[in-house]
Order: sequence, then C-alpha cells, then structure tokens
Amino acid sequence: MEDKLTKEEVLHVAQLARINIDEDELETYQIELKKLLNEVEKISAVKGYDDEKLIASWDRKTELREDIAGEMLDPKEVINNAPRHSGNYIEVPVVIGDES
Amino acid sequence: MKYLNKPILEINKLLKEKVIKPLDLVEEAFANIEKNKALNAYITLNKEEAIKTAKELENKEVDNILFGLPIAIKDNIITKDLRTTCASHMLENFLPIYDATVVKKIKAKNMIIIGKTNMDEFAMGSSSRTSYFGAPKNPWNTNKISGGSSGGSAVTVAARDVFLALGSDTGGSIRQPASYCGIVGMKPTYGRVSRYGLVAFASSFDQIGPLTKNVYENALLLNAIVGKDDNDLTSADKESEDFTRLIGKDIKGMKFALPNYFMSDIVSQEIKEKIISVSKILEKLGAKVDYVDVKYLENAVTLYQIIAMGEASSNLARYDGIRFGYSLPNPTSIDNLYYETRKTGFGKEVKRRIMVGSYLLSGENAKIYYNKALSIRDDMQKEFTNLFQKYDLVIGPTTTTTAYDLTDPMDDPLKSFLDDVLVIPVNMAGLPGMNVPIGFSKDNMPIGMHIIGNKFEEAKMYQLASCIEKELNLALTPGGEINE
Repeated sequence: MEDKLTKEEVLHVAQLARINIDEDELETYQIELKKLLNEVEKISAVKGYDDEKLIASWDRKTELREDIAGEMLDPKEVINNAPRHSGNYIEVPVVIGDES
Repeated sequence: MKYLNKPILEINKLLKEKVIKPLDLVEEAFANIEKNKALNAYITLNKEEAIKTAKELENKEVDNILFGLPIAIKDNIITKDLRTTCASHMLENFLPIYDATVVKKIKAKNMIIIGKTNMDEFAMGSSSRTSYFGAPKNPWNTNKISGGSSGGSAVTVAARDVFLALGSDTGGSIRQPASYCGIVGMKPTYGRVSRYGLVAFASSFDQIGPLTKNVYENALLLNAIVGKDDNDLTSADKESEDFTRLIGKDIKGMKFALPNYFMSDIVSQEIKEKIISVSKILEKLGAKVDYVDVKYLENAVTLYQIIAMGEASSNLARYDGIRFGYSLPNPTSIDNLYYETRKTGFGKEVKRRIMVGSYLLSGENAKIYYNKALSIRDDMQKEFTNLFQKYDLVIGPTTTTTAYDLTDPMDDPLKSFLDDVLVIPVNMAGLPGMNVPIGFSKDNMPIGMHIIGNKFEEAKMYQLASCIEKELNLALTPGGEINE
C-alpha cells in the first residue's frame, strides 16, 4: 500500500482550513500531507515527560495594563483597508441565505 | 564602496564632524542595491521616503550611535504606508496603517528605512524560495540559497548594501540565513522585543532580532529595539541594559556546554571540524568546553512542527478576503469567498502547513498532539534551565551543512524543517540564540557557530561571540580576500 492519505482525508483537512483544492493537486497533497503527519506522529514515541502537569508553565506574572484609553487606529483607515467596503461598513456576501 | 563596509563607530564620527551626511550613506545604499539587483534581496524599496528623511536629518543633531544609518526591514514587520507583503500574493498590495513597535523605535533613533526585504512566504521555509517574488541569492555564490526565512535581510547585510537589518525568527529564521551568508544574527529571548506589528506566524515562538556584519553592531541594534510594550502582553518587563557592556571582556574561567547531538552524524564533517577547532581556541583562552547530553533535542523538530503549524493555522485564519489583503473578485457566496481567496492567495508551503495545523487542532487531536507537544516543550525548557546552572553558554554549529544549491528539489515537505534542526530547540525553550561566523568550507561558503544563552543573558553571548570574532579575524565581505 502506498503511504498516502486518501482523497477524502485530504478534502477533509482542506475543508478544515477553508482552502479549495483542484482535482489535479489532490495526488500531491495525499503524499505530502502524509509525510508531514508521519513526522508529527513521532510524538507518540516520546517518553519520560511528566504527563500530569500544566501543559505550559509561564515564568512571568500575568500583567495587565491600566484601563486607560490609548492611541487608537482611525476606524476610517481600518475600513478602507477592507477589499470591499461602503461607508462605515465592510461588505461581505450573504452569510445567512436561503439554503433552498 | 566608500562607507557601507566601515564600522558604525567610524561612520558616527564622520557624521558628527559633518564630513559626511546621511544622504551620502543612503545614496551609496541604493547604488549598491542597484548593482546587486540580481541578489533579489528586496521586495519593496523605500527610495523617495529614505532620501527625504536623509535630507531632513541634515538639520538635526547626531544624538545617537545609530543616527542616519540605512537599515533594511524584513517584509513581515509592518511599516505605515510602506507596502508589507510577507512575500505572499495574499498581501501583495497591503499598505499597513500603523508602524510595528520596532519600526517606531528605529524611527525614533533616526535610522533610515531603505526597504523591505525578501523572505519565505509568511516566514514559512528555510531557503526563502517560497517567496512569491522569487528567491534571494547568496552573495558568496549566487547559485546558492540565502537561507531563510529572513533571507533578504541576511543577503543585503552580507552584500554590504546596508549596515543593519531586522529579521524574525520562529524556528531559526534569523540564525540560519546569517550562518549561510556569513554575518551575525541574534534571536533574542522570547519577550525581549515587542512583537506588535510583526505578522503572526507561530505566536509562542516568533521573535524579532538584528542582523549585522559584526558582533558589536548587532548589540547596538538590539539596544535600540528591546523593551516592554503595552501592545504585546508577552513582552518582558526588563530594565534596559547595554548589550555591548561585556564585549571584549576575558572569557577565562567561563564554562561552555557542547551537546553531543549537535556533533552527531546529522552535521557535516567539515562543519564539525570547524567547531572543534574553535573549541580548542576557547580552551586555550582559559574557558572549559564539556560535551553533554541534553534530553529532547532529537524531538525538537516534531514538537516544533506540531506547535508551529497549529498556531499558524489559527493565526492565518484572518486571511479571509474580508478584512484586508487579496480577495476573490465577484464571490458567489461567503464560502466561495473564503475557499477561493485562500486557494489563490497562499502558496503551496503555506497551504500545506495550514492544512496540517488545522487537522492537528481539530477535535480530540488538540489533546493528542498540541497539548502533548506543549507539555514536552515545558520539560525541554527545564532541561535547559538545569544545564545553565552548570554552564555559562551552550555552543554548537548553526547549520548541518553550508548553503545548498538554489536548484535543489523543493518537493520534500520535511526538508525546510530539517534544515533548522539545530536552531529550533532554542525557540522551543524561549532562549536567546545567535550565529557568529567561524570560517569557510572548501567551496568557500560561510560556516557559523551557534551560541545559546540562558533567558535574558544576551550580553554574555555577545561577550563570547566578540571573543571568537577577534580571535579568528575573518575577512567577511563576499568577493573580498579570505583571511584564514
């Protein structure tokens, strides 16, 4: 058996990542993604670490700044950076449509 | 070349005495860049603005050592009104509306931004060949890669187009190209430099740092960019310090650890021999070098892949065709907009990493992979903490080989990770790491030594690096005579 993902598995991860894949790219991704996942799988062989502790310790205290309004971005500039905008709004295609 | 190969100290004196003006430096920088055009070090030049700034500076007092010096900025550090692309089609026309904190600091010191340097797309890669704008070339041999991802920054400093450059390092992206190009590159302690305005790749690793032609000037640039920033919660609240303060000091009595893994079969014989000969010099100067075993080093690439791809998939979710950057024309639905924008906007390497990262964070996988990787990373940090109770610094090679051919195949998705096998552990542990050139291979490509310090001990690293630099006294200008 060839060491590669199935087409369905590639389409599944592509859907998780919100990326369209062309039919003719599928084969390459089946092989390449499998190579990466095989490498990642090596983590299961790592032994000797403490499994019971916090997953990530932080050696500094949590710092919060004073709640004082500071320098802000100009909303107009932010809106203007969006590819499609109108007045004070960013335009997007219909999000809740009729599914029929 | 009149000025750009000279030490900054000398340039500063000339500026103060008004023998030269900042404009002289800027003009020489652009003339060099034009001459070195084939190196493809830049994505965007800032010529008009740089000349304007240089002229304005003529009426100002030369108030600091970095005043009026041309500097290049990696193109994932945002610059207000100056195009910032991350070497991606996705941001090909992106004009930032604010400056990164480091850019504000650069401007406050009156350095002059010359342009934005080429890199791997979204800093994902180790050869800068994933750039949408074509790969930069190594000034020592233009058939060779520059390394990456901060390839353009390393190339332009090595070619002496500018005195200084900023890069970013998530898994070796400052140190590895610095090694391939024969310059000094520092990845500071995680939290030392604000990440505000650095386009996020893997947020728990990303760090900005300086690339320069020598050790002293590297420390000077680090002096200028560190500090707590309210806009970056992970920036550290540390007193400001002078990173040059230990440069030139004796290393007698210092203890260095050389991990066995760094000298194993994964490293080329030629590079190992160079490291051994430098260790002998250090011992002759009264330091001690011990070979040591360090746990988890051989797992670092796997851990890095899990954490970096996971974090990247989350960070790059913002490129949706709605907020900024490339957007599919005439989308038919919101899903059509997301899926097609990301398909066209991202290159292959980026898409691969986002897909695997999304998978690793989905459902139960987060526990199996991501959480476990974080947990082992924590242990790896402790391993280093223990090591630094006995040793001042850790040393080893920066890369396993010298720069390879630009035409080498790019179809192995693991290659870009394995290129960084020696530098990735430093990011995993949040430590500072730097490259200092230690010589050349038989085919005349630079070889570098990697120096790793305990958290916030960059000054001590500069002390050792400057000592090595002084002892070896290499001629490090490409095309110049090799002084070995």
